[in-house]
Amino acid sequence: MSKTNTKHKVSKIAQLASKLSCAALLAIAISATPVTINSVSAADTAVSIPKDSLNSVMWDFMAKEHLLTDASSKKIVMNNSILVHAPKVAEDQLNLPIHVDARSIKNIQKIVVIADLNPIPKVLTYEPRQAEARISFRIKVGQATPVRAAVLDKDGVWHVGGTFVDASGGGCSQPAVAYGNDDWVKRLAEIRGRIWRTPGQKSAKLRFSVRHPMDTGLADGIPAFFIEKLELKGADGKLLGNLYINEPISENPTVTLFPILKEATTAVQITGRDNEGNLIDVAVPAPVQSSALQN
Amino acid sequence: MDKVRRSLLIGGASSLVAPILPAPISPLNAAPLRYNLKAQRIAYNSYVVIGKTEDYSPDNGGDIVNVAFIDTSDGVVLIDTGSSRRYGEALKQLIYATTGKDVIRVYNTHFHPDHCLGNQLFDKKKIAALPKTISGLKASGEDFSSNLYRILGDWMRGTEVIIPEHVINYSSEKFGKHRFEMLPFKGHTDADLAILDHETGVLYAGDICFLDRAATTPHADLESWHKSLKEIKKIPHKIIFPGHGPADTTSRSIEQTDTYLTWLEKNLTKSARSGKDMLEAAKMPIPEKFQSIDVIELEIERSVAHLYPGIEEKTLPFLGQGDS
Ligand SMILES: [Zn+2]
Repeated sequence: MSKTNTKHKVSKIAQLASKLSCAALLAIAISATPVTINSVSAADTAVSIPKDSLNSVMWDFMAKEHLLTDASSKKIVMNNSILVHAPKVAEDQLNLPIHVDARSIKNIQKIVVIADLNPIPKVLTYEPRQAEARISFRIKVGQATPVRAAVLDKDGVWHVGGTFVDASGGGCSQPAVAYGNDDWVKRLAEIRGRIWRTPGQKSAKLRFSVRHPMDTGLADGIPAFFIEKLELKGADGKLLGNLYINEPISENPTVTLFPILKEATTAVQITGRDNEGNLIDVAVPAPVQSSALQN
Repeated sequence: MDKVRRSLLIGGASSLVAPILPAPISPLNAAPLRYNLKAQRIAYNSYVVIGKTEDYSPDNGGDIVNVAFIDTSDGVVLIDTGSSRRYGEALKQLIYATTGKDVIRVYNTHFHPDHCLGNQLFDKKKIAALPKTISGLKASGEDFSSNLYRILGDWMRGTEVIIPEHVINYSSEKFGKHRFEMLPFKGHTDADLAILDHETGVLYAGDICFLDRAATTPHADLESWHKSLKEIKKIPHKIIFPGHGPADTTSRSIEQTDTYLTWLEKNLTKSARSGKDMLEAAKMPIPEKFQSIDVIELEIERSVAHLYPGIEEKTLPFLGQGDS
């Protein structure tokens, strides 16, 4: 583990505070808004931004900041065939499950997931290659917010779908998270995972988790500490997909992907790094077909 | 994260972006909000006020919890105080109308807000709780209260968190002829107080037992909870009064809570082993025998949020560890 972990050990005690800082930062995010809008480049003058079906006041800004910054952007269309599944109400605002299904779009360059009203809105970028265009993951939300998936195709068209999540849980909804866990440094970047195959299905299901605090860096004195990139390859070295995850992804990121594995015996190699240079490199073994659905 | 909600409510930032509106006041509620509490006698000198087996809503004002009071010759002993100051007021009136006496002892069975936010109406020196209930309420009470303000709106007006000052570090105490045995359990939360009234044989179980209302798990430790249920089963009693649901003369509340939690954990484990994510896991089919349990679908969805990450960590195979 990197030497810098010590400071995180100290900061980890205040980790809850770090996660709870969203509200304070929101104010900063808002006050910064007009400035950033003015600085958006020529791209947005050429591409018109369609009306937002979720009626978010941040939508135009999101489009300019996170979609039109891609040089190949030519057009944005709202597309309700892109499915974003989430519970209507976030019971645990530190672990809101999301499933994005963009299989209706062909020739995908990338999928960008944005939660408009988060202090850091951009959740992840996924570039499925030898994989189906769908993904499950969990995010942190600071308040009720649209969660949208924008899918860029090879022609430069952004297809945008989404849903609205309410962040008011029940009165008993405070999550019971075991903080102050002393072994967290020892267990940093511990990887768990498994591949399932259902006979007759084109894609396999890969679910994995990486033990990592995913600190947002929003609280005083607590540096951002998060996984930046994960690359998935088949046993033959062929790229299955790239996943760039950002700070809003929940602690201990847990992700489901749907790689298309030609051979039943194919393992998946996951490599990546966090922003402090901790490296991840692990093989998820091929599924044991017969037992996959039994235990 | 409840802190976030709180700071949004008081921080002012929220009004700039997505207004966090108080719970809507329906035309029906335009008149002053009133709880319609009724006392039912379940044993000698013993009364219960049974809450609706629902989730918090602006319609029920948080009248979703059971409380009980015992009319002793020394004064009234009250078990739990409800979700709001206004509830506490209605309860105090009801107690006086029923017994003509003042409250001399209040117990908070655990730190959840539906059980303690009516504390304001009672003398905090007389409010008794287990040490971890007190520390839990100190740590989370304000957040609970903010949440309820958001969900219930005006019902919560004037509600403040009152921390119990009487620490329960003894095994029983007597008021009038009633000897109350303190039974400290855990599992629903870190500290769950059950109370046995030896005079009547009524066992006040708090949220260790639910009946015909799905158990809630935001602070649950299922292993401890099962252990507690096993223990509670051995305690001789005539009636169990659960934290939610009707009074129970057949120990059905123990059985139902136990089988429901077992089923829940088993299914979540099975889902994790078959690679389901949280959204998929929440869609588990509900067996016939549980279908009459109120708010079960909602509570399953909530429980997935509380329990699934931990269960997944136990079931996903360890593959290795990154390094620098
Ligand atoms: Zn409770």
